[in-house]
Amino acid sequence: MITGTGAEPVIQLFHVHKRYGSQTAINDINLTVTKNDFVFITGPSGAGKTTLLRLLFLQEAVSEGQILVNGINLQRIRRAKIPLFRRSMGFVFQDFRLINSYTVYENIALVLETTGQDIRHIRKKVPHVLRMVGLEDRIHAYPPRLSGGEQQRVAIARAAVSNPFILLADELTGNLDTDAADMVFGLLRQLHSRGTTIIVATHDSRLFDKARARIVFLNQGRLEGETKS
Amino acid sequence: MNLTKLSSIFQRVRRNISTSPYLHLAATATIAFSLLVIGVFAMLYVNISALIHSWQQDVRVVAYLKDELSEEWVESLRQSFAKLNGVEEVTYVSKDEAMARLRRQMKHRLSLLEGLRENPLPASFELQLVHGAQTPENLDLLASQLRGFPEVEDLGYGETWFNRFSGFIGFFRLASLIIGGLVIAITVFVCANTIRLTLYAKREEVEIMRLVGATDAFIKTPFYVQNLIEGLLGGLVALVLLFGSFKFLIARIQTPDALLSSCDIRFISFTWCAALLAAGMFVGWFGSYLSLKSFLRS
Ligand SMILES: Nc1ncnc2c1ncn2[C@@H]1O[C@H](COP(=O)(O)OP(=O)(O)O)[C@@H](O)[C@H]1O
Ligand SMILES: [Mg+2]
Repeated sequence: MITGTGAEPVIQLFHVHKRYGSQTAINDINLTVTKNDFVFITGPSGAGKTTLLRLLFLQEAVSEGQILVNGINLQRIRRAKIPLFRRSMGFVFQDFRLINSYTVYENIALVLETTGQDIRHIRKKVPHVLRMVGLEDRIHAYPPRLSGGEQQRVAIARAAVSNPFILLADELTGNLDTDAADMVFGLLRQLHSRGTTIIVATHDSRLFDKARARIVFLNQGRLEGETKS
Repeated sequence: MNLTKLSSIFQRVRRNISTSPYLHLAATATIAFSLLVIGVFAMLYVNISALIHSWQQDVRVVAYLKDELSEEWVESLRQSFAKLNGVEEVTYVSKDEAMARLRRQMKHRLSLLEGLRENPLPASFELQLVHGAQTPENLDLLASQLRGFPEVEDLGYGETWFNRFSGFIGFFRLASLIIGGLVIAITVFVCANTIRLTLYAKREEVEIMRLVGATDAFIKTPFYVQNLIEGLLGGLVALVLLFGSFKFLIARIQTPDALLSSCDIRFISFTWCAALLAAGMFVGWFGSYLSLKSFLRS
């Protein structure tokens, strides 16, 4: 089992399998992520990175094995409790999943609205997080008018705005130019310094030197090793 | 429910309506139309009931007497009749008075009566039923009691039209219920469908909301609110149209010399109005419920 350095485990996977029909996307993975870890999950396309994150976010159920998040077995979480569970996490989706008919502001504010936070707080918080990813001037734009890199930064801002306990980011890639990547990782480092546990899936090894992190290798659904950056 | 969620709900309601205004206009119009239909039936029902009620005030049995009864005999009959169950008032109509009435009714055709050598009309007692007990059953009961008197030659009472009308009212009530139920069912279907179409157009948005931790209630509430608003609006439109046509009709038929001038047409009661608005909102709510129940399972 590959473990982090901290004491408190936040995410634990025990012999996790995920199968789609005859296809095995995740094959017997054991992994422990401790509080305030910064983890890169890397591997070629089709390795199972997205599937692993989807399992952690309860977008999919495991076929076999167990996942504990904060000691809670994900299989035991009732359907009605899933929203609450997800609010403790931020997820940057590979395809961003922004609502095209909402402005950038509305997309990000939505996260805070679901938890019923004070409107004045939302009005301050949203521009603040957008400034951190360098998009404060696009606050009233609609996502289809943004470039792919800009959309990804909005998605990151949305995932970060609620100060999540765990942040999952799928496929942070070369969509980002150097300046944008620096801003994004600046934001991630800031969250990290506040105690957020961060897991970034990417096949882009150029990102590894952007943060001191564990690097976990995935191939054909199997965990093949780990190093540090 | 705090201010943030409330404002979020109304923003989404506004968005839903502004992205497909005609869909929602059509839904509101459908609700208005069906409530108007129900309102018209309610008007008819209320007024026909009132009419029948006023006729019931007037329900009487006429006992036609054999000829050549002495005055004392007539007087003792009057006293016996007055004691009968359910009788409120007894009025004697002599042969001469009956003829006088007939002459009054036929004042333009008096020549028809010229040839009569003697008065063929019988004397009679008119028995008025006790107020509030003018049912067909009581009428029959009184009639059978009267038939037991040998002095009574014949009875006249509006048994046939009265019964037929009671039957008609029952039929009318049943027909109204069926038509009302049908109209409501169709409207629920239409409301459910607007929600289904809106949900379909917004399936991406709904999916994303779930991903960022929105509860089902948070997602659903705007759809309920939207249909409740449409139901209320539809109800108001229906009431305005109903009241408008009522006023129009009244102005038309209540001219001084018209046949129906004495007829007192009334509008449905406040309770009925409130019930129509409530029905509109119920229809909207139920339509949302049907669509959302299955949609959010998937
Ligand atoms: N919903 C799905 N249905 C069937 N197969 C899937 C599904 N999701 C992922 N897979 C398969 O699982 C494997 C891992 O996919 P994925 O996790 O997306 O890889 P990565 O994100 O590392 O590129 C792939 O072979 C993919 O085809
Ligand atoms: Mg992927």
